[in-house]
Amino acid sequence: MTTVALFTLLFGCMMLGIPIAFALGLSSLATILMFSNDSLASITLKLFEALSEHYTLLAIPFFILSSAFLSTGGVAKRIIRFALSMVGHIHGGIGMASVMACMIFAAVSGSSPATVAAIGSIVIVGMVKAGYPESLAAGLIGNAGTLGILIPPSIVMLVYSAATEVSASRMFMAGFVPGIMMGLMLMLVLYVVARYKKIPCQPWAGLSEIFSSGFSALGGLMLIIIVLGSIYGGIASPTEAAAVSAIYAFGVAIYGYRDMGPLKSIPWRKNGEGVVAMLARNLGQMVVTLPRIIVDKEINKVVLDASKVSIMLLFIIANAMLFAHVLTTERIPHHIAEMIVQWGLSPWMFLVVVNILLLIAGNFMEPSAILLIMAPILFPISMKLGIDPIHLGIIMVVNMEIGMLTPPVGLNLFVISGVTKNSMGWAIKSCMPWLMVLLTFLVIITYIPWISLCLPEFLDKMQGY
Amino acid sequence: DPIVIKFSHVVAENTPKGKMATKFKDLVAERLGGKVQVEVYPNSQLFGDNKEIEAMLLGDVQLVAPALSKFERYTKQLQIYDLPFLFKDMAAVEKFQQSDKGQALLSSMESKGLVGLGYLHNGLKQLSCASAIKVPADASGLKFRIMTSDVLAAQFEAVKAVPLKKPFSEVFTLLQTRAIDGQENTYSNIYSKKFFEIQPYITESNHGVLDYMLVSSTEFWMGMPEDIRKEVKKALDEATAYGNQIADSQDLEDRQKIVESKRTEIITLSEAERNQWIEAMKPVWLQFEKEIGKDLIDAAYQANI
Amino acid sequence: MLMRTINRTEEAVICILLVAITLLVFADVVMRFGFNAGFMWSQELTLHMSAWFVLFGTSYGLKAGSHIGMDAFVKLFSFNNRRIMSGIGAILALVYCYLVLYGSWVYLAKMKKIGLTMEDLPIPVWLANGMLFVGFVFLTIRLFILLFAIITGKTDGFKHADEAKESMALAQEIMEEKRS
Ligand code: NA
Ligand code: NA
Repeated sequence: MTTVALFTLLFGCMMLGIPIAFALGLSSLATILMFSNDSLASITLKLFEALSEHYTLLAIPFFILSSAFLSTGGVAKRIIRFALSMVGHIHGGIGMASVMACMIFAAVSGSSPATVAAIGSIVIVGMVKAGYPESLAAGLIGNAGTLGILIPPSIVMLVYSAATEVSASRMFMAGFVPGIMMGLMLMLVLYVVARYKKIPCQPWAGLSEIFSSGFSALGGLMLIIIVLGSIYGGIASPTEAAAVSAIYAFGVAIYGYRDMGPLKSIPWRKNGEGVVAMLARNLGQMVVTLPRIIVDKEINKVVLDASKVSIMLLFIIANAMLFAHVLTTERIPHHIAEMIVQWGLSPWMFLVVVNILLLIAGNFMEPSAILLIMAPILFPISMKLGIDPIHLGIIMVVNMEIGMLTPPVGLNLFVISGVTKNSMGWAIKSCMPWLMVLLTFLVIITYIPWISLCLPEFLDKMQGY
Repeated sequence: DPIVIKFSHVVAENTPKGKMATKFKDLVAERLGGKVQVEVYPNSQLFGDNKEIEAMLLGDVQLVAPALSKFERYTKQLQIYDLPFLFKDMAAVEKFQQSDKGQALLSSMESKGLVGLGYLHNGLKQLSCASAIKVPADASGLKFRIMTSDVLAAQFEAVKAVPLKKPFSEVFTLLQTRAIDGQENTYSNIYSKKFFEIQPYITESNHGVLDYMLVSSTEFWMGMPEDIRKEVKKALDEATAYGNQIADSQDLEDRQKIVESKRTEIITLSEAERNQWIEAMKPVWLQFEKEIGKDLIDAAYQANI
Repeated sequence: MLMRTINRTEEAVICILLVAITLLVFADVVMRFGFNAGFMWSQELTLHMSAWFVLFGTSYGLKAGSHIGMDAFVKLFSFNNRRIMSGIGAILALVYCYLVLYGSWVYLAKMKKIGLTMEDLPIPVWLANGMLFVGFVFLTIRLFILLFAIITGKTDGFKHADEAKESMALAQEIMEEKRS
């Protein structure tokens, strides 16, 4: 009864066109009010907890801010020009480069929506510029962005290993090969699609264009190195690195390229100026114009735009956590999982059922919540059935990736819709065809454990553990 | 309708606390079947450890067992358990907790609407680190992650180390990339949180205790009919004794598992080295004497003898 | 003029919060890596500011039309039917606000009564978490305005028509500034 009410309310509200966040929140609160002994007070406490106790979620606004500076300031244009000169002449080249960019950013961020937030707007615009339909570009990036939790570091993997006995570093290692494989699969499919849809190729621009565009894009490309370097160089955590990238993007757009802000159209070097004089003048101007940044209309608009998208996303996530909280207090996922456990399935069938269960849960809940509830229940059964815990972990992570793209609660869908300023329906339609690639990938991962296990086992052998 | 006790905790079911919770649930089901029903929510499924006490005060969680350091906001007296080198072993901890003074601490949060129902062990804390630490000077300038606690911060500052606060999801990567040098924890947490995989050295310092307190809200606890309350308390005590027994053996088991993993080296301290640590950290006692109470500290120290 | 001032203040608060959160996390990194030091309070402050940012900004997001929803189904209907559906939607959203306002009032009152302070900052919990109440008061006001617009036929859904006009105005302002 409770379950029926919860879902009826959710879908009913969404049909009326209420913002998703409100629909999730209202259905959760109303269900608690009508069917549960829990107080509204503790549910609002949960709402506040969802907004104030998840440090890793901060990567989302930071990356959105950083990419807002890059794309408004013309830095993105330079990067796109460079990418076009490099791979524009290959069928699907820009798309493949975009998937590559997602893979690199997945190695930087531990969450999928943060990965899309970091580069989504830039690479989608780039692909559109190269002649791709926007929906194709958005769908590809929405899918490639899910790599954020498969390629280490990964918050979802940390949650899995904390909830079970599994080694976190072995989980991280296990994600590498599947992550690269999924990236390659997306590239391959894109190549076929680009050929079939006859997406135009640019003529070969020549080496000089590569060098000149590469040099001009250097300031933007450095962002990747700075973010990667700050994490793997032991300077910052993944979330902190996102803040570093926002500060860097601001610096490079306002002071480096000067496409906007108070130093706009003031050249780095004036005619006949000496090096020392130039440095002194620039430094002085940077300090003097600092107060003007606060009132600069263009900069304010960039921050405000980033804020709007971030607020929208974080508010949905908080309400989605509320929804998951109601499912938890009513023990709905527990009951379903325990029922399945009692069926006494063979390993082969068990994995089919686990996948279906996780895919359904992925529709309505956010990955960490699913793992915290499901992993402790499913883990002991798979141990008994002889399924490797690392393998089970990767299966769960891939399911969570798919959950990022399935409505109504699909974080990557929200980000795609937010950064492209298109509707949710459009985002769903764009991502859906690519979801087939992910589902195929899930089947492969589920029934070929070697893909997940080869690297951690190889490394263990190397180190003699 | 039966009285429902929602027991919320933030660790896995296979930890001593998790097993204690399951035991409590089973005991109550066996003895108070239709009258009382215990629901256990592990892994922060309901609330995280910052909010579970607040949720209990609102009446939607009935039993929690946070680490003693977590109570700093509710009473300064419980800071006593964070003082470094106050207890020489878990037997001393147990002795003090069962003493009159230790039991009186259970009711130190009554003004905030909380009632302590017992202590649950985890174990003594060790230092895990990216570099080998033998004497206090080795820790100088290194960065350690701690739980929020003024005492723990002072403890690291006493050896000129830098205490830092970071959420678990970030700490793991920060330790792995050496952005933070180390952290303090019990063997069972070092094992279950996988810190031993990324920290090459563990100094067996036994420098402090990490225990939990079982807490309910006064409103709920006193609101139960007296006969039922007595039975529930009895089941809770038995489950706690069972949990503490597991905690003691798990400490040894997890230490052994960490040794066998060969991923980290356990450094043991000589008597002289240990004394250096005590000498360096003991001034922390004086620093918090006013807030905690000198007689309480003295009583705790007496438990060693 | 008054509306404009309110708007600007709202935008300023939102922007300042986002910038402050970013700078605070950045400062954390600089302090730790550069100066081998750290602030105990920075994590708690960062997290609470991010909660204020979202709670304070949600009502602005409603005005700016940045909250996403599924509009595919509503689009099948005529303008007037859409108004009816959106009107019901707005009323349901008001119910949501009412429930949160009620719940948070009880929660905050309890925290005030117990006199609990935050973990690392010497600020009472009811004050720090009070944005929960404040944010939903603003949201309620915005929903009433929206409901009024739906009733008077000025709009037929949650995406405000004014938004396009407004961003045009902002773009124009920027253009003007460029010229001068
Ligand atoms: Na990642
Ligand atoms: Na989903």
